[in-house]
Amino acid sequence: MKKLLSFVLCACLLLTLFLPAALAEDPVKIIFWHSMGGVNGEAINKMVADFNEANAGKIEVEVQFQGDYDEAINKLKSASMGNMGADVVQIYDIGTRFMIDSGWIIPMQELIDADNYDISQIEPNIAAYYSVDGQLYSMPFNSSTPIMYINRDAFIEAGLDPDNPPKNFDEIIAACEKLVKKDENGNITRYGFGMGNYGWFFEQWVGKMGLDYVDQGNGRDAPATKVVFDENGAALQILSTWDKLIKEGYITYLNRGNDDAKSAFITGNIAMVLESTAALKSLLVNVDNRFEIGTAYFPSINADDAGGVSIGGGSLWAINNGDDAKRAASWEFIKFMISPEQQAYWNAQTGYFPITVATHELDAFKANIEEYPQFMTAIDQLHDTKPEYTGSLLSVFPEARAKVEEITERVIMGELTPEEAVTQLATQVNEAITIYNLTNN
Amino acid sequence: MTTSKALRTRPRRIHQTFWEKMEPYVFLAPALIIFGLFLYYPFIRTIYLSLFLTDKYGMAKVFWGIGNYTSIFNDPSFWRSLTVTFEFVVMVAVGGLVVGLCTSLLTATKYPGVTFCSASYAMPVAIASAAASMAFRMILHPTNGLLNILLGTQIGWTGDQRFALPVIAFLTVWLTSGINFIFISAGLRGIPPELYESASIDGAGYWRKFFHVTLPGLSPTLFFQVIINIIQAFQSFSQVKILTEGGPGDSTNLIVYAIYRDAFFNYRFGTAAARSVILFVIILIITLVQFSMEKRSVNY
Repeated sequence: MKKLLSFVLCACLLLTLFLPAALAEDPVKIIFWHSMGGVNGEAINKMVADFNEANAGKIEVEVQFQGDYDEAINKLKSASMGNMGADVVQIYDIGTRFMIDSGWIIPMQELIDADNYDISQIEPNIAAYYSVDGQLYSMPFNSSTPIMYINRDAFIEAGLDPDNPPKNFDEIIAACEKLVKKDENGNITRYGFGMGNYGWFFEQWVGKMGLDYVDQGNGRDAPATKVVFDENGAALQILSTWDKLIKEGYITYLNRGNDDAKSAFITGNIAMVLESTAALKSLLVNVDNRFEIGTAYFPSINADDAGGVSIGGGSLWAINNGDDAKRAASWEFIKFMISPEQQAYWNAQTGYFPITVATHELDAFKANIEEYPQFMTAIDQLHDTKPEYTGSLLSVFPEARAKVEEITERVIMGELTPEEAVTQLATQVNEAITIYNLTNN
Repeated sequence: MTTSKALRTRPRRIHQTFWEKMEPYVFLAPALIIFGLFLYYPFIRTIYLSLFLTDKYGMAKVFWGIGNYTSIFNDPSFWRSLTVTFEFVVMVAVGGLVVGLCTSLLTATKYPGVTFCSASYAMPVAIASAAASMAFRMILHPTNGLLNILLGTQIGWTGDQRFALPVIAFLTVWLTSGINFIFISAGLRGIPPELYESASIDGAGYWRKFFHVTLPGLSPTLFFQVIINIIQAFQSFSQVKILTEGGPGDSTNLIVYAIYRDAFFNYRFGTAAARSVILFVIILIITLVQFSMEKRSVNY
């Protein structure tokens, strides 16, 4: 009897030892791919760590940096040959059409409807970009527009009004003439203006003119079949502007991408630069009060351009791995990332604007705007744009963007006239679209 | 009795046991499997893919015959990229050889500090090309780069078609100079000192010894280094990706970078495969030429 009692007691003891472990399920593990480096990447890590802490034991998000946007989408393409490898992926704006057509994703609208989640909070301009046929396909997360950064000290020194910066390229050229500074040898130590050769700006200028990039309602009614920037004259105006700025010596060529232009602005070699609003925090950190940074709307090519900017940046896509637990966990994670509190933190750490209107009411957001009013420019610029200038969708956008950059260089080098360049560019991009449509439909 | 002996031995040789027949193939198998898996299969697959258009998953979708090849040959940017590649290969192969030869001759004699010099010349071996390219990106910045500040110039080193390719070639020569230095130094040590002694006795000066003893003695090493340099030049990638992305225009669009762009950026594996096949043919021809030259000008 004694033996039996001790046995039962022992068994009870053992059971209590194992019970908590047996009752608590393993947390659902999901993998999150992102493309944010530097200051912005640290902000992501902090947000994910906060999410994991709040959901300890239930959901565990593993965060994986996948290189820049191009590399991330290309890794996803390679991964698609097997298991996808990720559950939530951050993809850039121009990957939208590709992702919708890919068949790998769970449309965000399904998750929203299943949860009766209220998305009226989301900025209408941002939601419009990621919606096709009235469906939201991915969740906006890090949204940006390009803006113009100015060196306020240089403006004052040159006798210009920093509160009234140039709005178009005629005004930029006029300002350049006052801002340019030369040393005793005649070398230019400060250019009035500078910009990286970045295909994104080309797309934005087309939108600023209120014109389309591709046919089929700018690629939104159906997959595009050809570009229209050659027929509507947009490309010619943009390439002629580049040509004029370089030939007449207003700017110096600062290579592809934005890095070299940004570093020239930080060292004071150029007094105005075009960059994404997402660069604001890192510019503030790097300039470190050596001069005051001002922000202005993205300049238009002509004075009478009446369109608007469209958003860039990235959004979160839920990948379909056929696992309901992961699907639910992904949705929880996405909801967390777009919550007003997280968006306020994200905005202050990066310069991407908050994607929900409710964020504007938070004290953290207000305090940051008070200290750095520069964060407001991008938000105002977006609100001043009508939702109909949502920007184009195109499956071969990465290739088209690279072609734009290459052709721009060949105009700058004097190898092609702007007219020849437009024809070549249109032919090459159209060929890429034709082949894509031929092999993927 | 001799005939019966012959009868007894001959069948044994013809009717080998199964194991005896298979034995050599078993020894060959590991090498064959590895070559087959990683060399021959991808090679055949590349040729196969080059005849198709691929979809967004990289799978062969539409049979295109020689369409990929004709569109490449009709594309002026392919011919530009080919010209640029040859210019680059010549610059790197010759430059790497000259730098390697000079540095190893400089450290061939003993003097104080020779170890430090040797270590410095060999150092580029240990530097990753991507890291070096990032550093050079800052050095070559058009407005605030170190090089422009030192020279007092304002040159867009990577954004100007006159400089972009020589700059990339210079960086590549520097990166390969370490391995050139090590091999050529070893080659120098391998030349028998008696040859120099007897040349001295015959009254030969430094340059005479250099042209008639050093160079012929080094020719196997130099030949090997030329091949290695050419292969490395053809494979140069990260310098281009980080510094110029093939630009400005097409002026640094080396053929390997063009293949990368087609395959992993534009996701057109068909064209990329066709470009690879063309590159294979080019390298095959160069290698054949090199080996026919070896017979004439290399002394073992």
